[in-house]
Amino acid sequence: MDNDNPNDKRPYEKPSIKQVDLRPEEAVLGACKTSSGGGGSGPGGGSCRRPAPCSSFGS
Amino acid sequence: MYLRVAGFTLHVSTDDPGLTLAPGRASTRFVIDSAPASPVDVEVTVSATDLADDTHALECLFDSGGAWRLYRHDRGLLFHFVTPNLPGIPYKTALVDRDLSRAQIRLHQPFFAGDATIDPLEYPLDELLVIALLGRGHGIEIHGCGVIDGDSGWLFVGQSGAGKSTMARLWLAEPDAVVLSDDRIVLRADDEGVWMYGTPWHGDEPLASPRRARLDHVFFLRHDNQNLPTAVRPANAVARLMTASFPPFHDAAALDFTLGFLDRVTRSVPCSELGFIPDSRVLPVIRETRRSRA
Repeated sequence: MDNDNPNDKRPYEKPSIKQVDLRPEEAVLGACKTSSGGGGSGPGGGSCRRPAPCSSFGS
Repeated sequence: MYLRVAGFTLHVSTDDPGLTLAPGRASTRFVIDSAPASPVDVEVTVSATDLADDTHALECLFDSGGAWRLYRHDRGLLFHFVTPNLPGIPYKTALVDRDLSRAQIRLHQPFFAGDATIDPLEYPLDELLVIALLGRGHGIEIHGCGVIDGDSGWLFVGQSGAGKSTMARLWLAEPDAVVLSDDRIVLRADDEGVWMYGTPWHGDEPLASPRRARLDHVFFLRHDNQNLPTAVRPANAVARLMTASFPPFHDAAALDFTLGFLDRVTRSVPCSELGFIPDSRVLPVIRETRRSRA
């Protein structure tokens, strides 16, 4: 159940659209952090058979 | 070898005497010494061949745009792992049965010829397998840092650059804290509540623990000039967790399950946005959320 006390009346909030940021390249495990430490996705500590060896994956 | 990750047991074996299999560096902590008493979830067999001979026309179900693609296969799901080093030929394939109980890994022999030992589940295959298993009604993997602090479990969620590894380093200095991972945490649930599991897939810090802990609070990280947690309503929390998770996007039923699971998590675990200054002053602020609930 919601954490709020169901007996409390919350002030009215007009419905609104909130945009959230999805980073598809991270979400699909497709990328690899470069040795320069730039962004990307994937965990650290492994190798991913790329031409420039991955020192670690992006986090 | 047997691996246990997030409650799933994988048995990896080969009949090829020319292949020496070994887990990745971080995965060694997830190796279990002997055959488990409970059933194995995935039987993984490994062989080596020349994948250039594979010329079947396949329907692509999902293209990550990078390291892997997913194809439809009569027996289930066929993953191809690719690199620009080897144009037109996958360096590894994995054929996974429909019920995810078996996976056949085939290595492109010329590509692995110089390797003394081989980790057949090398990223991203290991993670993709676990993600697929989770999507079948078991849980979700979150882009987050999980910490056991005494008898409390904290999950710090954020995309790259949000401060997960920074937060992990702060907790490393605490004598009684255990960092499960600074980058990937699995959430599962049972009658006792929501649990977070460490994984081998760490971030900038080599933090990977096979332990689990009950989840007490979710914090969405944000760099700020003050330490201030602000409650996040469940619907908002579901959206934010969804953008910081790794569901199997190729599986509509799994996506549906994922949304329902995140709804369950956010209705049973308090969620807050945590604006924080990247130093140890944030730790008592986090702990205060535990006392304020008591």
